[in-house]
Amino acid sequence: MKPSRLQTVLDCSPADRVPFLPAIYEHKAWFVKDTPSNVASDVDLFTRAVLAEYEALQPDALTIGIDVYNVEAEAMGCEVIYYDGDDTSIPAIGTDGAAFTEEDNFSTVDLPDPYKDGRMPINLETARNVKRAIADEVPVRGALSGPFSLAANLVGPERLFMLTVTNPEFVKGLLFFASEAAKRFGEAYIKEGCGVVVFDSQASPELLSPKMYREFVLQPTKSLIEHFHKLGVKHVPLIIGGNTTRILSAYLETGANNILCDFSANVDEFLSECSERKRAFRRNIDSTDFLAAPASVLHERAVAALEESRGYPGYVLGTGVVPYGTPLESLLAIRDAMFEYDNKLSRQ
Amino acid sequence: MSELEHLAQLMEEGNAATVAEVTQQLLNAGMAPQTILNDGLIVGMGVVGEKMRTGEMYLPEVLQSATAMHAALKLLKPLLARDGVKPLGKIVMGTVKGDVHDIGKNLVGILLQGAGFEIVDLGVNVSPAKFIETIEQQKPALLALSAMLTTTMLNMKTTIEAINNAGLRSKVKIIVGGAPVSEKFAGEIGADAYARDAVKAVGKVKELLAVAA
Repeated sequence: MKPSRLQTVLDCSPADRVPFLPAIYEHKAWFVKDTPSNVASDVDLFTRAVLAEYEALQPDALTIGIDVYNVEAEAMGCEVIYYDGDDTSIPAIGTDGAAFTEEDNFSTVDLPDPYKDGRMPINLETARNVKRAIADEVPVRGALSGPFSLAANLVGPERLFMLTVTNPEFVKGLLFFASEAAKRFGEAYIKEGCGVVVFDSQASPELLSPKMYREFVLQPTKSLIEHFHKLGVKHVPLIIGGNTTRILSAYLETGANNILCDFSANVDEFLSECSERKRAFRRNIDSTDFLAAPASVLHERAVAALEESRGYPGYVLGTGVVPYGTPLESLLAIRDAMFEYDNKLSRQ
Repeated sequence: MSELEHLAQLMEEGNAATVAEVTQQLLNAGMAPQTILNDGLIVGMGVVGEKMRTGEMYLPEVLQSATAMHAALKLLKPLLARDGVKPLGKIVMGTVKGDVHDIGKNLVGILLQGAGFEIVDLGVNVSPAKFIETIEQQKPALLALSAMLTTTMLNMKTTIEAINNAGLRSKVKIIVGGAPVSEKFAGEIGADAYARDAVKAVGKVKELLAVAA
């Protein structure tokens, strides 16, 4: 079977064009004119939403996930707030939603069962349906919470940040537990013929120091990614938002490929480090004003991001999280910029 | 090192129990609560803010310091009230509708309390209607809106529009903040100010309310 465009780029081999991976999670629901709360809880809606996203945007991979940080935590007892009626807010774990405290002994806590607990089965069935519908046209990946982000939901983010100082050994144990939970969910996706994407933005250096990233997050993340490599998943993307330039070396040490160079990160350093280690990265364009900015502005922003790539074969064009309700023409303008860039390169 | 310099240093270290203990010792020794607050705790928290800005301290350490500040404030607040120290102004704050993140908001709340403001914290996922109701009831000088997500920051705009429509905009200053928020965005949605971090927020609030720094 011919490798997908994305696979080729993740191998840092020349592809026919730069892959396009807009970050569409809650906005999936917009494609079926429903709310994130409804779509995240219903296999049929969820499947239709992912397929509608695919049809409208033709991204180079699909990710199964709406409220990507909640699923494992909810399956372990954390309380997710859903919104009623036509409220398009994103389901979230509330300030009182944590299911555990530092008093809990995680060596005795059961890992979640992806086929039974919470909405994990909904996500898996959606992945199965999408795979059935599109076969191998583009990779389908299941979204997983990274160890630090899952741990933050399990005990509460503020509590977890405090515990890194007051009870570091507890945090280390908790992160390995969280890593095991992610492994189990990831294995289920892999059995469906999908890849995985690990999301861990709570571990961003905007919040956690590079030293703490190394001390707490690196090893459980490495263990998670190695596990998926052993199961035959060659490339495991790891998404950490914000300016990750300060943790770039540890980020690469996780073993992840297709790491995130968010719009605030230093693309030159990513180009230099990633080309040296033959790794791919996704450069995000800023999505904070996607609802208001004219499509022409987003087009220009995409052109600028593509120019920054300087033809690096491991470069993927992405966006920050696309807000619910972003006009289709805005996303297509970004896509058009990518085609124009490829045409320009092929003429040179 | 003076006792107050020592207290400021303890604030940086962020041990709540020790900060509370030393605060109590200074009170027992007859030091004025306002002196302890201004020349010890706030000075220490200022250093913490500066270190956060320069990347010497990160959120976990800043939270420790804020918790220490909170512990000391518990001791000082009744005494400041007893001494007739009036709050510098009343501030209503909350994370906007659809957003349940509150770490940044809580930090700002603690620092503003420490700076002498009275805080009415509405918590997270606060609807425009709730903000309006509270402005009408509490008559704050300032409203502080927080959002952590690119998707929910847009509800700051909705909230400000609702306040406008309710005819309350001229009665309250509005400051916004949160990870995706920018000065430009604040201007576009009609806020009076933007602060990129908790320490800056205190300075901006003082500026907006014309309180001497």
